[in-house]
Order: sequence, then C-alpha cells, then structure tokens
Amino acid sequence: MRLVKILERLLAAIPIMIGVAVIVFLFMRLTPGDPVDIMMGQGGMVTAGEIERLRSEFNLDKPLHEQLALFLFGLLRGDMGNSFTKQRPVAQLIAERLPATIELALGAMLFGLLVAFPIGIISAVRQNSLTDRLSMAGAFLGISMPPFWLGILLILIFSVHLKWLPVQGRIGADVHLTTVTGFYVLDSILTGNREALISSLRHLVLPSVTLGAAVAAIVARVLRSSMLECLRSDYVKLARAKGAGEFSAVAKHALRNALIPTVTVVGLQVGVLLGGNMIVEAVFGWPGLGRLVVDAIFARDFPLVQGAVMVYAFTFVAANLIVDVLYTYLNPKIEM
Amino acid sequence: MATTTATESIPSWRYTWGVRWRLWRQNSLEFWRELRKHPVSVAGGVVVLLYVLAAIFAEQITWHSPELGNLRNRLMPPAFMAGGSWEFPLGTDAQGRDIYTRIVFGARISLLVGVLSVGVSMVVGVALGALAGYRRGRIDSLISRFADLLLAFPFLIFAIGMMAFLGPGFVNLILALTFKGWVEFFRLARGDMIAEGTREYVEAARITGQKDWQIVVSEMLPNILPTIFVLTTLRIGFMIVTEASLSFLGLGIQPPTPAWGSMVADGRNHLLNAWWVSTMPGVAIVALVLAINLFGEGLRDVLDPRLKIE
Amino acid sequence: MRTIKHLSIPLLLLVSWLLSACAAPIAEAPVGEAAPTVKTLVVGLAEAPLTLDPADHRNRTTETVIRNMFDGLVTRDTRNGVHLELAESAELLDPVTWEFKLRRGVKFHDGSEMTADDVVFTFNRIIQENMIEYPEPHTSPRKGLIAPLQEVEKVDDYTVRLHLSAPWPPAMQLFVHQQVVPQAYLEAVGTKGFVEQPIGAGPFKFVSGQLDDQIVMERFDDYWGGAPTLPPVGPACVDRAIFRVIPEASTRVAALLAGEVHIIQAVPPELVGALMQSPDVVVKTAPGTRPKWVELNVNQPPFDNKLVRQALNHLVDKDLIIEAIYEGRAVPLPGVLSPFNDFADPSLSPYPYDIDRGLALLAEAGITDANGDGKLDWEGTTWSFVIDTIEEHRQLGEAVVSQLQQAGVDANLRLWEYSVVRPMLLAGERTAYLGDWGDSAFDPVGHMEAKWHGIVEGSPYGRGNFSGYNNPRVNELIVAGETETNVDKRREIYNEAQAILYEEAPAIFLILPEEVEASRANVTNWEPASDSRINLHDVCLE
Repeated sequence: MRLVKILERLLAAIPIMIGVAVIVFLFMRLTPGDPVDIMMGQGGMVTAGEIERLRSEFNLDKPLHEQLALFLFGLLRGDMGNSFTKQRPVAQLIAERLPATIELALGAMLFGLLVAFPIGIISAVRQNSLTDRLSMAGAFLGISMPPFWLGILLILIFSVHLKWLPVQGRIGADVHLTTVTGFYVLDSILTGNREALISSLRHLVLPSVTLGAAVAAIVARVLRSSMLECLRSDYVKLARAKGAGEFSAVAKHALRNALIPTVTVVGLQVGVLLGGNMIVEAVFGWPGLGRLVVDAIFARDFPLVQGAVMVYAFTFVAANLIVDVLYTYLNPKIEM
Repeated sequence: MATTTATESIPSWRYTWGVRWRLWRQNSLEFWRELRKHPVSVAGGVVVLLYVLAAIFAEQITWHSPELGNLRNRLMPPAFMAGGSWEFPLGTDAQGRDIYTRIVFGARISLLVGVLSVGVSMVVGVALGALAGYRRGRIDSLISRFADLLLAFPFLIFAIGMMAFLGPGFVNLILALTFKGWVEFFRLARGDMIAEGTREYVEAARITGQKDWQIVVSEMLPNILPTIFVLTTLRIGFMIVTEASLSFLGLGIQPPTPAWGSMVADGRNHLLNAWWVSTMPGVAIVALVLAINLFGEGLRDVLDPRLKIE
Repeated sequence: MRTIKHLSIPLLLLVSWLLSACAAPIAEAPVGEAAPTVKTLVVGLAEAPLTLDPADHRNRTTETVIRNMFDGLVTRDTRNGVHLELAESAELLDPVTWEFKLRRGVKFHDGSEMTADDVVFTFNRIIQENMIEYPEPHTSPRKGLIAPLQEVEKVDDYTVRLHLSAPWPPAMQLFVHQQVVPQAYLEAVGTKGFVEQPIGAGPFKFVSGQLDDQIVMERFDDYWGGAPTLPPVGPACVDRAIFRVIPEASTRVAALLAGEVHIIQAVPPELVGALMQSPDVVVKTAPGTRPKWVELNVNQPPFDNKLVRQALNHLVDKDLIIEAIYEGRAVPLPGVLSPFNDFADPSLSPYPYDIDRGLALLAEAGITDANGDGKLDWEGTTWSFVIDTIEEHRQLGEAVVSQLQQAGVDANLRLWEYSVVRPMLLAGERTAYLGDWGDSAFDPVGHMEAKWHGIVEGSPYGRGNFSGYNNPRVNELIVAGETETNVDKRREIYNEAQAILYEEAPAIFLILPEEVEASRANVTNWEPASDSRINLHDVCLE
C-alpha cells in the first residue's frame, strides 16, 4: 500500500519537474542581457560574424519553441547541454560541484542539530524560565544575522586573530588527497589519509556554523513548541502519574513524539540548505553549486542555470518525499 | 417551520460584530495578561516599536543628510572612540556619511521591505489558501500545483533571478521577495482551512444559510489568524535578512538610499580598519530581527492554546 | 518504542561519525612532519579560470593561470615592454608579414621538442573555423583578438611567417596573448584530454586541480629558461605553485593575513589600509589598464553642448576621490588615454577642479539656479539626470554624484547589470554612464576604435561607444592610426585625435586606478603586472 502511494507521489513529481524546466527556461530567455555579449568582454575586436557564429553555436538563433524543445528532449535523455562560458557539459560541471555543496549542507545540518536539540529540550522543560528565554534568544541570533556578515566576522575572529581555523577552501592547499567520491571527509577516510581528514574537517567548521546557524534556530523553535505540546498531553501526564521519573517522561514520551514535527522541519531544511548556500559558499571560497549558479545567472549561461535549477528542484521534491515517507513510519496513524 | 425564511434566523451583521467586538476586548485583556508572563517577548515588542517610531520620525531625530556625504569626513570613528565626535555619534562611512543618520533612515527602508513584502505575501497567500482550503476540488489542486512548483525553486536563487530580470530597485525588490513568499502563507492557510472546515460551527453557519464568503471571512478566518500572525512575524525577519543577502550579491536597493543590507555589505571591506561601518548597521539588523522573532515566539506561546501552561 | 528504534540507527551513525571525526586528531601523531621541505607558493585569484585551453577563452584570469604553464612567441614585462620568448627573433619582412625564428631545444612538458609545426598548429587552431571539437565543434573565441592574421606559414622547422591582411602596428602586443600548444599531444588526446591534462612549454607543469577550486602545478625541471631579456633565466624557483579561487575580496585578504596564501590579486582599494598595518604583508601596485569615465550622451540636450560637458569635468574633484576612495592608488585621467599609454599626449593635463569655472560654463549654456533653491535649473525646471553604472563602480559613482550634488547639479546614480544596460547605451537611450574600458595591449587602437569612433553597425568601430560621439575627423584619424607603421606619424595622428576629444569632452574624464596586489613579506622577486599576469617563474619564497 505504502509503495503504491510512494509511486503515486513520484508520478506527481513529473509535472512539477516539467513546470520547473519550462519556467526556468522562459525566465532566463526573458531576462535582459545577452550571453554572447557578456562572453566577449571588452578587450580586442569582435566582429559581427563572430557574434553570429556564437549565436548559432548556442542555438540562440533558433525560435524560442525550438530551443525549448531541444532543452526538454535533452533532459529526457539526461543531457543538460553545454555551458556557454565554460565550454563543458553542464552535467559534468554540476557533478563536480555537488559533493562540496552536500558536504557543507551535512556539516551545517549536524551543527544545527547539535545546537538545536539541547536548546529545544531544555527550553521546553523549563518553559518561561530565564534559561528558556536566554537560550531561545541565543538560538534566534542564528536567523537574525545576515549570513555573509556572520561568516566574515567568524573568519576575522577565528582565523585571522585567533588563528584556530582556516579562512577558506575545502582543504589545505598543500594537503594531498586522492578524490574518490568528491566528499573530502569521506575520501580522507576511504584512503586512510589522516592529514587530509583533519584538514578537511577544520575547513568545514566555520562554513557549517555560518550556514547551520539558521537551522539551529528553526529546529530549536519547532522542537521546543512540539515538546511543550507533548509535555501537556495526557499520556505524559499519565506516565508521570504512574510514577515515571521526570527524565523518563521527557526522554521517552515527550521527546519521542516531539520528533515527528521536527523531522518534517529538518527534512525541509535539507532542501533549504542545499539551495540557500550561495552566500556562504561565496564568503568561504567553497567551490559548490551555489556559487556556480549565481555566476551563471550573471553570465546568462542559460544551460548551466537551467541544469542547476533542475537539480535543486529535484533535490527539493525528493527531500519532501522522503520526509513524507519517514513521517508514516514515525507515526503509523498518518497515511500519506 | 418551513415558512421561516433564512434571513430571519440569521443574526444581523450589527449584532454579530457587536458580540465579536466584546469578545475581542475580553480576549485582548486576557491576551495582555498572558503576554506579561513573557517579559522577553514584551521587550522584543518594545524594541520593534522603537524602530517604528525612529523610522517615522527620522527627520526629527537626525541632523545629517542620509544620502550625501563629504569625502573629507570619511571613516570617522564613533563618538565613544578616540577621534570620534558627537557630530557623528556612530562614525561615518567611506563616503563621509553619518552612519547614525543612515541607520535611522535605513529603518524606514528595512521595515518597509519587511512589512510590504510579507504583507502582500500574506494577503495573497491567505486569500488563495482560504479559497483552496474551503472550495477544495479543481481550484485547490490547480493552486496547490502552482505552489508546489514555486516551492521547488530555492528562495534565494529565485530572488536573484527575479532581481536580474527586473533590475535592482525598491519596488522590484518587494516584487522579487513576494513572488515566492506567498506560498508559505498559502500552505499554512489552506491546511488550517481544511482543518477548520470539518468543525461544527462551519456546518452550523451553513445550515443557517450564510453565504460562503461570509462563512470564510467572518467565521473561519478569525480562527486561523493567530497562526498566520505568528508566521508573519517570522517572515518579516527573514525578509530583512534576505534583503541584506541580495545586497551582498549586488542586487539590493539602489544607492545612495540607505538600506541596512547594503550598508553592511558595503562596509565589510572596512571591517579590519573601520569596523563600525559594517558593524553598526549589522547590529541594527540583528536587534530588530531578534526582537521581531522573540515577540513572535511570545505571541505563539500565548495564542496557541496547545502550548498554554495550566 | 517503534519510533525510537527507527530513529536510533541514523542517530547512532551520526554520533559515531562525529566522535570518530573528533577523535582522529587526538589519536594520531602530529601531521605534516614527514614531508620534505617543498616550497609551495599559493596564489589567491579573484575569479575562477574558465578553461586550461589557451585557445578557448577570452578572460584575463584564465590567461594568468595558463601563462604559467604555456609560453608564447613573445611575452610582456610587468609594464608594456614586449620581449622575445619562444621566438629567437622577430622581423617585419614587409608591412604585412612577420617572420619569427624559433628557439631550438625548447621542450614541452611531455619531453617533445617544440617546432614550427606546433606554432603553425597553434595559430591555425585560433584563426580557422571550427578547430576546437570539444564539447561541440566551435571556433576559438580568440580569433577576433588577432583578426588581421590571415595565414601562418612554416618556412622550415624553426621559422614561421605570419601573414596579415593589412599593416597592423600593435601586432606584437597582441601576439603576447597567444600561447603555443603541442600539436602531436593535442591531436592524440583531443581537446577533452588536453583540457584535463594540459601540456605546454612553460615553467610549470599541470599536476591536478578543479578550475573552480584550485589548480596545482609543479616546477618543470627541463624548462628552457624563459625570456633572456627578463632575468632570472632557468627553471622556476618554487617547487609547487597553486592557484586558489577566492572570489570574495575580504576573504582573500583574510587568507593572506592568516598566511594561507602568499600572493593575492585584485585588492580593493578600501582594504589596502588594513593590509598596510600588518608587518607580514607587502602591498604592491602596477599602473592600471582600465580608465574610468562618465560618458555623456552627446546627442541629448543639454549634453549636446560641449560647454556643459566641459563644465561637469570641472565639477568633480578627482584628487580628493583618489585620496579618499583609492587611498592614493590611482591617477587622474588627462583625456581619453591612460597617461601610461605610449601614445598619450604629454601636453594634456587633467581638467582642474574648479567649481566657479564649471558654474560659469554652465551659465553660458543657460543652466543657472534660476529659482534659488540651491539646485541648477535648465529650461525652467530643475536640471536633473541619471548616471548609470554597475555594482563594480558604485563607490566611485556615489562619490561623483555627491560632488556634483554639492555643486548644485541634481545628478543621481542608478545601478544596472552591465549586460542589461549595454544595449540601451549603444542605442543612445541613456544619458550618462560611469564605466571603464580595459585594454592590456597598451596600444591606443583598442580604446580609440571601441570608445571614440562613431558606431558602425556590425563592425568593431564604436562597439563600446556609449556617448554616441561621432566626429568625422576623429573617425578618420582613428582609422589612419590603425595601420600607420611610422611611429612619429602615428603619434601625430593620435595627438590630434586626443586634442579634439579633450576639448569636446564626450565624457567626464575620471581616473585610472592602479592594479593593487599584495603578498606575504617572505615572497621575493614578485612584481604585479599591468596586465594582471602573475608570472610565478621568477618568484621565490624565503
């Protein structure tokens, strides 16, 4: 039964993906600015012939519907075209960058959860105490600071002044690492490279904190309120009445049930983290997908923008689906 | 019985709203009593109020031009530092403009960005959500599909694309933030409307022959407003921070209009030799967004009956 | 219970992953001791190179990286002097034929020797259609840079002749930008293979790297030595050279201060002050190649009156802007050409800052503060206009606008994306544009034909002409200057053009910022170059 539902959801995702493809395609073409113009820069001479030639190379001389058809049929074959600016297949460019982005998202998620769980639980248990107020205020700092500013401040404090952590990049410049999967932490473990593991972990800290600060705030908030709700519920009261210790009441009963809405939020945050990190990537020189797509938007690199947005949309739809599936496991009463 | 027309059994509008008003007054008294138990939230509310006042009376409480500077006064430190003067209480920026003045005028822009983008999003989102959640059927699935579609775009990428499409500027910024911002409200309103739709009072209203729009507007909407309101406070903070992020990418508000985001973004290269240029507006953002969020969290504790202390 | 069971596994994994990660540094011995002292030099770039194929881009940073792995027939010093590199001699046989004799014994990184075939192949790959087959067949975007080059002829194994369509004075300055690739290797592996593992005849060989992250190179021990006129000659000094991409300027500076990189490019002027405070860091500059000006639409009243344009030139205090915004690292522009250009007329000096003179000129053109509101009026209403610009020039733009405002001119700034505003500028739809025009070739041709020649559709003439300026005499001079090979006559031509343009002032001539770069104090023998090249061949680490 569940499998049928999942399949149904998968089918429902298809029109969404097609819609996303059409929207991003039209959006890019309607945005003022000519990719060929941007490519040629200022120096040297550009002849009309050269511009004509580039146009036809990029298929920009074809009517719009033909270009759209080329793009959609390409997608069906798994071909996202070639980047205008980088003269390489879009799929390859995205595949190179995706591990960096996912690694950072996981790091941020880990940081976010590590901060959110203690804060959320303690705040709920001690509702309206000073601890509750202060820790929630602390958590909210994470969504109150513009991420680029937080990132630069962290760099100046922890890298330039204290010299505890590296400023930028994914790994030390002179650290050698054989890439297997593109996930540097994983690759270091796989190849048994201790130096690379330490270096890549150290490089991961500040970007993860910067990106994860918002996650911490959002998750702590949801966890607190769902814990509150559960703590007032009948079964926790019952557990208490039965003589269960306060710890057991909180840990076994309230937390367990509070996890259900929390998982939903965490799942949605995965999508947000993957798609919202271009700022952090730019600040920390992190060679991920976000920076690639922002540059591509400014360069009007149509195929690259289209490809990247498709990947984002896919990730988001998938994350949603996984959350829904998880949900039914956590709470068997709910049907998909 | 059968001769009783529908109109007779419906209490007059005047009467309904009279009752409503008394209830509201009673509720709001209780509301304030509850809210007083959340001093941090009240403090947040007060801070927000101060910002609003500063924004309204910007001309009266500053003594420099927010837009024009004199290069000869550039990068002066704040008054409390050596070399600073009360002429420029929080120092000056690279163009020689008074940072205090710009922060005060910037409150106007940032509050407007937050309130307008969220306000429009809320109105559109709640209206569509109410329509979809109440009517269900084809119109529901149509709007929901479109919402799902927009939701699949990452917010910032979408905003960047929109800003590239529209060009930088205040109105365009609001449009870019709103175009996807309404979806959150839509989803919340729709979900709540569906839940409310199953409750007895809606059925009762239908039996008494109220029109659909009357049921939605006067019976159901008041019940879902508290949660909407909480979401509103959260989104305002989010939009203000997003404006800053867009400024960092060069897609913010047109210069020389003082907007906090672009002030922080501009000043970041001075963090090492003139930290105040970026830090002062940064603190202004953090204080406001934090205050809004804390206020919102308090509201939530008070308004959401499930979280009440017994 | 069910819930806990399902959740416990991922949570356990998470915790164990975390613990193992944290435990690693404690459990293991200190790192980095075993490696021998390899001298590694790290450079922080402002943007990612687009490719490692010398023929398939049109981008300064890309060339900066490529030129450490590839050599060309000729090269340039840190200013604008051209020096022989892979060519032993260069001779202009007749006005349209260059003959290059090649050095013998020059080796590519794969050990093969460079011959005339490689040079012919290199140029053919650029000038012939559809020579680059990956990812889809296309023509080199560099073709336009050497447009007059028609044919490349191999005379013998060590002699090539380059045939031009017309006399072309700046030829050598533009040959600098083309690097020689090995024919045999490239044909064997194809463009795809070549881009993944490029091989050149430069001082460093490619080791590994991702373009958007970092590119690692190693010293090429069999390097032929480099231009004899640019000592030192011999293999490079450092063992490894790494180019790292750090787009955010404040991060780049932080990385230099923290010692993570040794040299950084493109230091924004506002960060210079902070760098100067650190004893571990040295800031160096080179004359810039990107003059900045506010082009005024000469077809739009009142800007069609040259008095108005001259007046605005007097109302901007360039010296104050240079001191305040550029920390002194810029020079005022004496007209249309950079003062460092060989053909700049030394008799011209920047328009002096003189508000009274400016206001008098405006009054003469009928622009005065008629209603006494402190703002100048024109034809009965406040004279106000918009100066368009892009994010990059925002600081400068705000300063210029603010100075004009103080003089009573209601000028306002508007930011655009360059790609959006450019077509409007060319169509003459806008009023004023603050921008720059880069030209590292140091020859007047680039600026003159693009910016100050009237627009001729479908030609390079006036392709960057945002003022709509179109003066038949100036057009004539520009065309004549392009093919004039006699230096004195050429100087005369350009002097006349510059004098007219100075007088007619189709722009507010602003400033020429210097290229600011910085290094750690232990980096020796490094100088920033005007064309933003970072030549790591000579650089040493102490």
